[in-house]
Amino acid sequence: MNAKFSAYADPEVLVDGAWLQVHLDDPGIRIVESNEDVLLYQTGHIPGAIHIDWRGDLQDNTERDYVSPEGFASLCARSGITPETTVIFYGDKSNWWAAYALWAFRLFGHRNVKLLDGGSAKWKSEGRPLSREKVKPVPSVYPVPARRHDDEIRAFFDDTLAQARARRPLIDVRSPGEYRGEITHMPEYPQEGVLRGGHVPGARSVPWKMAANDDGTFKSAEELKRIYSENLGLNPTDEIIAYCRIGERSSHTWFVLTYLLGYSHVRNYDGSWTEWGNRVRAPIAKGDEPG
Amino acid sequence: MAEIVDLFDALPDDEKRESLILYSDQAAACAPRQGEPFDLEDVRKDEECTDTVGVYLRVDPDTRQSHFRISLGPHVQTLTRAMTAILCKGLSGSTPEVVLDIPQDFVPRLVGGQLVRIRSQTVYYILTRMKGAAKVWLGRERQQAVVSA
Repeated sequence: MNAKFSAYADPEVLVDGAWLQVHLDDPGIRIVESNEDVLLYQTGHIPGAIHIDWRGDLQDNTERDYVSPEGFASLCARSGITPETTVIFYGDKSNWWAAYALWAFRLFGHRNVKLLDGGSAKWKSEGRPLSREKVKPVPSVYPVPARRHDDEIRAFFDDTLAQARARRPLIDVRSPGEYRGEITHMPEYPQEGVLRGGHVPGARSVPWKMAANDDGTFKSAEELKRIYSENLGLNPTDEIIAYCRIGERSSHTWFVLTYLLGYSHVRNYDGSWTEWGNRVRAPIAKGDEPG
Repeated sequence: MAEIVDLFDALPDDEKRESLILYSDQAAACAPRQGEPFDLEDVRKDEECTDTVGVYLRVDPDTRQSHFRISLGPHVQTLTRAMTAILCKGLSGSTPEVVLDIPQDFVPRLVGGQLVRIRSQTVYYILTRMKGAAKVWLGRERQQAVVSA
């Protein structure tokens, strides 16, 4: 096993490029690419990988929610995924959307999930094979999940408000400028319709990037413990809510806390700042202090 | 440009995307070559784009035909690469006035309505930068005319 992985709370939740390259044809795995760049998959993907679009495949945009259990079962069936399949996610932007897709799979109770450490950028930088072949999985049978596990790993506005009022841990993973309220979107990204800048009162600023190395891989367990346990004072059993702008960067942090550090009660507030910043009567704080 | 737009317009969305991928492959060929002279160079990193984009413009003094080159940083998204290749090809030889006046409503016909909705800034970014370069060039031309008069 990769020596770095062995120090994580769940060493099995990550794979590296070397491992994946020799397991490309394993029948028990399905490789899934999820990206910010809407056309990136078609320019060259890991051989055999399918593409899952966070917006088109995972979300129900008529309700700003996720697809129904029936919709999820249908997605898995046409992707050749069964409940036993190990789904290995990867993508651009240091795996933001891959972590988001993995989190969404967990919402539906799919247990066998992994991330490719470093995502597509590292795979490409290592000169590993790419393909433009259109992958057509053999359809599978995926039973409709009995329920969606929103209550376990997802936070809504009311949950986040209660968390703020109770002064329980809230982590704002956006850039410092967004946290302070100086900007309403991350640098280099279009403004996506948020009326107010700032953060949820009581939230601590820990940008997602602090958990990642420059090559997109996750920092070591020791470094992560220093950030979240020592500096932030979080305990493994704390009830924690992470948020960003639309829930993708906070999925990355949710993954770090849940799988790499073994925190047991972490939820992702996917409504995030695009909901909170626009919500009538939602309190906000500005500046460097949590408020 | 009209030919490219008509070609895309006839394609269903999935084939539009395939064609965009093919164009994105050609974006690197739009970069300026060593020693190539330009009237105007505008290299910058804007909030709307994920990496640095350089727009280089030369206008033939006799024919007033524009010649654009565009350099893209390694993290520029695929759609921006595709638009770079399409616009460099489609607007090559147009006068700066034509570039400046070209309506933006052809963009949805190129990329399809869905990509415009989810990437509204990205799909217009390169065209906006090229128009900006044409506007600056025309402004300089007017200044020179005033000075000469």
